[in-house]
Amino acid sequence: MSWQEHLPAMILAIPLLGAFATPLFSLGGKTLRNVWMVSISFITMIVAFLIWRTVTVNGVLVYVMGAETATLALPSGMAYPVRIILEIDAFSAFMALAGSIASFAGAMYSIHFMDRFSGLSRFTSLYFLQTAGMLGMMVTGDLFNFFVFLEISSVASFGLVAFWRDRPESVEASFKYMLVSQLSAMMVLIAIGSLYGRYNALNMAGIASMLHLGVVEKLVLAFLVVALAMKCGAFPMHMWMPDAYAEAPAGVTCLLVAVSQASLYGLMRVCYTLYGTTMGSSFVPWVIIVLGMASMFFGVSMAVVQHEVKRLMGYHSISQVGYMLLALGVGLLSLGNPQTMADYGFMAMKGGIYHIFNYTMYKGLLFLTAGSLYYATGTRDLDKLGGLARRMPYTTFMFVIAAAAISGLPPFNGFVSKLLIYESTFALHPFLAVAALVTSVLTLASFVKVFQTAFLGPEKKCYASVSEVPASMLMGMALLTIVILGLSLFPSWVLSNLVEPAAKALVDQSGYIGAIMGGGL
Amino acid sequence: MWSKVYSGFGYWDVISWLIFFLIASFFALWLRSLGRRDYKEGTEQDEIYWSGNPVPEDGSEITVPASSAYWGFRKALESYYSILTNIHSGHMRDYVGYFVITAAVIAALILIV
Amino acid sequence: MIGNAPFLIVGVLFLMGLIAVLTEKNLVKIAIGISIIESATNMFLIVLGYRTGGTVPVRFLAAGEGVMVLPTPQALTLTAIVIALATTALMLSLIMLLYRHYGTLNIDEIRRLRG
Repeated sequence: MSWQEHLPAMILAIPLLGAFATPLFSLGGKTLRNVWMVSISFITMIVAFLIWRTVTVNGVLVYVMGAETATLALPSGMAYPVRIILEIDAFSAFMALAGSIASFAGAMYSIHFMDRFSGLSRFTSLYFLQTAGMLGMMVTGDLFNFFVFLEISSVASFGLVAFWRDRPESVEASFKYMLVSQLSAMMVLIAIGSLYGRYNALNMAGIASMLHLGVVEKLVLAFLVVALAMKCGAFPMHMWMPDAYAEAPAGVTCLLVAVSQASLYGLMRVCYTLYGTTMGSSFVPWVIIVLGMASMFFGVSMAVVQHEVKRLMGYHSISQVGYMLLALGVGLLSLGNPQTMADYGFMAMKGGIYHIFNYTMYKGLLFLTAGSLYYATGTRDLDKLGGLARRMPYTTFMFVIAAAAISGLPPFNGFVSKLLIYESTFALHPFLAVAALVTSVLTLASFVKVFQTAFLGPEKKCYASVSEVPASMLMGMALLTIVILGLSLFPSWVLSNLVEPAAKALVDQSGYIGAIMGGGL
Repeated sequence: MWSKVYSGFGYWDVISWLIFFLIASFFALWLRSLGRRDYKEGTEQDEIYWSGNPVPEDGSEITVPASSAYWGFRKALESYYSILTNIHSGHMRDYVGYFVITAAVIAALILIV
Repeated sequence: MIGNAPFLIVGVLFLMGLIAVLTEKNLVKIAIGISIIESATNMFLIVLGYRTGGTVPVRFLAAGEGVMVLPTPQALTLTAIVIALATTALMLSLIMLLYRHYGTLNIDEIRRLRG
């Protein structure tokens, strides 16, 4: 059908339409704006799902912006691809699906969470801009376009983190995030410019087919890896993450989690597809593995001693990103070696990719439950909370599911992806698996602390009038809970239908290149 | 759909785990049901034991706050935690500094190795 | 060597901006440092497109059929300038809010989020 080939453009156009048309719709009142926000997020999620179905059936989806037909990548026999090309393979579709589910849950949650505050039409616009930037990072096949969408989502995040601008801590967190983020964006731009200067192309597939390693390419790889790892929250560049995640409103934090996964997507695109086997030595995979281990361990040890709920969860974000970097680094290490890839490398990649989806879901849910605590009681400090399970049973139930998932307790989805990561990294070196297991134990310890102090315990007089959060917030959280339970009960289906095509697409550099360079009309 | 997840070294089966969990929880609930029901609610038979002291009315006086939850853990690793907390100083220059130093180290090493 | 002089100047500018961000205590000076870094990056993109003896990359304005400089880096630079404009504006307004809340622009004292 003809509309199916325009799906990649639709997934970018619909959130952008949502962002720019929101001021019009908010003239019609609060309800119209809320309906607009939820329906645009829902349509984006449907489009992401349709893209995933199309990619599963038809292979890599290529869309050339502004050409006569949508797949005309090399018009009239040109050697390099011209125009901005969106290229969606199974890994991009997988991440777009995870990101759009998180965005829809956050949108449903925010329509009631933010209703005590003013300026909500701008909040909705920024929210959609952040969604558009995140999805743009995931679907684009062009390096400079990736930079532009990275900046779109970053600038929208700066505004959203500082949304409660009468709180000094929010503005401070946003400024700190902005400072490091701008510096890393300039490094990314210099790296992309250097690649353009060497190869006269900006298209990822075009550069990947022409790349040969030299001094400039090595420096470009170093800059891109460090800058994109910073945006994910890898140690030692992670310090903005607990601040920004704590001070943003809870629905925004749910989306910020997905945005940092888009940067992880960019990192993996650069390492696996742009460079792939021409990376030469195994230095960069080991750098990623070491960054992953440090993030895992230092993230969780700082998290155990925090007493503010969202800051604690922000530190846990760092350690979970460490798991993904570890697993994908082990996969990257096995990229040139088919024996180790078959032994443990592909399993590590599947574990890491599955962990990305799991993490987006349960971390979003954790932040939304922490936001519910803040909405109900007005405080995020664990020293002051207590005994809330009597008053907020649904929130408690969903928090228990999310906390069990993040700690890697069976039967939840966190356990399955962590099991794959433990077993494959153990085959590389036992110490990696030991560090991952210790991190998991400390994660469980800190969430037991949060559960016991916030939900269990005697009833406090000051919270006698606390009641359960409103229905739309519960529905946002329930969506993520249902996805978590679905991922937990059907792990083999998810692994063979969602994760394995994504892992195969990530390893298949020639397929990615061939979809643009090999095709023409 | 309900089949096992094979990781190259073993497998994970959700249904078996759920069945074991149901059997174990059945045992746990059966043991719980063997308790006595003849206590009087609302009297001191129902009250918690607070080292023999009179139990305060307000719950906030008998909670253990979160900052003292892992007091022993933190005290034992005090040397490690003091270094780690000093690294996370909250100072903007440190944020940018760690980023620049990491970029410089990785860029230098990638050219050498 | 003389042809590489613009790239050296880009490096020097970037380093100056980076030193400003790393050693200055005043927030406005740090924002100026970020702005210098952005200018260095934009200059890098433009210099990439230069071809010796090249003219404006517009067909009917170029005198004769000589060499033209590359237009793509100019498009990239325009985009990057607009992005830098937006982020500088946002950074300055955040600095204004920080001054209103904390009463100071010294980064040693704007440190409530720590540990």
